[in-house]
Amino acid sequence: MNEKEIKLQAYLDKELAADERQQVESALLQDPEANALLAELRMIRGVLAGYQDQTKLPESREFYWSKVERGLRAAERAELSGSRDTAVRTWWRKWLVPAGAFAALALAGWLAGTQTGFFGSTAPQGESSLDDTGAFTYRDFSTGTTLVWLSYPAEN
Amino acid sequence: MSERSYSSDEDMALVRLAQQGDMQAFEELVARYRDKIYARAFSMMRSEEDAIDLSQEAWIKAWQRLKQFQGESSFGTWMTRVVINLCLDQLRKQKRHRVESLEAMDEESGGVERQMPVVTVNPTEGLERQELRVRIDKALGQLSQEHRTVLVLHEFEEMEYKEIARVMECSIGTVMSRLFYARRRLAALLVNINKEGVR
Amino acid sequence: MLILWLLVIGFVSGLHTESAAAEAELKVEAQLVWGTNAKQSPDPKHKPVSEEVRKKLLELPLKWTNYFEVNRKLLSIPAASQKKEALSEKCAVEVKYLGKSKVEVRLFGKGEQVEKRTQDLPKGETLVLAGKAPGETTWLVVLKRLE
Repeated sequence: MNEKEIKLQAYLDKELAADERQQVESALLQDPEANALLAELRMIRGVLAGYQDQTKLPESREFYWSKVERGLRAAERAELSGSRDTAVRTWWRKWLVPAGAFAALALAGWLAGTQTGFFGSTAPQGESSLDDTGAFTYRDFSTGTTLVWLSYPAEN
Repeated sequence: MSERSYSSDEDMALVRLAQQGDMQAFEELVARYRDKIYARAFSMMRSEEDAIDLSQEAWIKAWQRLKQFQGESSFGTWMTRVVINLCLDQLRKQKRHRVESLEAMDEESGGVERQMPVVTVNPTEGLERQELRVRIDKALGQLSQEHRTVLVLHEFEEMEYKEIARVMECSIGTVMSRLFYARRRLAALLVNINKEGVR
Repeated sequence: MLILWLLVIGFVSGLHTESAAAEAELKVEAQLVWGTNAKQSPDPKHKPVSEEVRKKLLELPLKWTNYFEVNRKLLSIPAASQKKEALSEKCAVEVKYLGKSKVEVRLFGKGEQVEKRTQDLPKGETLVLAGKAPGETTWLVVLKRLE
């Protein structure tokens, strides 16, 4: 698509600044091709505006809710118990392949210089190395954030 | 002991009850919006199984984050955003393993849509609503994931270019070119479907 | 699978060619944050965290919805050295730069070490250490790698 076409679409979608809108409107007065293209884009907008998605969930209310409820209760249990295992499994699965190459090299040096870590092996991502911290780790890959929840209490 | 009925409660009242831990109130919300949320997931994933799984996951996520919802939008809109984000995450994961077809790459690089003649007559004019829905659905199914997604987000969720670019993790220019292609391709597909007739 | 392993080995080799300038110094922003479901902090000096931080915290499986910045420090750490900063009277954080985006973070509460963590922290990555605070609230130390 060229710049003219981009501007035409943006004009239709009201994404242009006022001065750009005026430029497009002036150009449309003299360009039948642009008018035809705009008409097509407008037509499709109208067609989709009239589209009412009537797709129905192909499961009964009770059955679907029973699955959702099971998921809610499992999530609550995991949150309450600070499910370390779930986080470790997810984290481990994510890093197993690329970490494989590191693990062989790192393990030799790590065993020589450090004690066994909290998760029992070297891992490039992170590890807590204090004994019995009760820490629970969660990784959000979409935001690049690692949460380490500690059992350390704070006082006023 | 008789159970309280929530069916006449307003959405926000149900949300407030659910925020206090009332799972039955939440169940009523699920019942009200399950079709809508499933439909949005299906429109993006085009797989019944994926759409069911992701819509369920969306409800679980919503329950966990319900306290964050303060009524700044309707509950349905908020919930739709939750499922859209999950679908986008899933599409990204799938894309990492998907082999791009030559056609898809050609579409992405732009220029293909210039081969399409401008559609001057509305190919859906005069159609019954049901027939229209079927044809549009079929045409949407023939777009690539990226093009369908940008169309869904812009035309059905009324998101601006900037917001679409943010959630799709691409540039605004990419959003615009995908949207342009998707619209033109949809027009061409509807013309073809019109000619073939839909069974 | 073989191709994957070759790619991994190539990636590992590539890491060794990082420029010396990139390894010279690590810049980390450390924030002490208080999380609550109350709309405001009782301390007027506490401001809501930035939108960027807020969004990251809201993505985590935590039940709190409002986050307030208690203190913020910038740590510039040369390679193979560490910096310690007090974030409050009772809380301090020490970051040691181990090189190649690897850091060792030590958290201190009332002078005692409460957590030691070795972590990959590439640019833009965030590490959040958190725990319960009185009154159903939470404290968080948010460490974000800037450079």
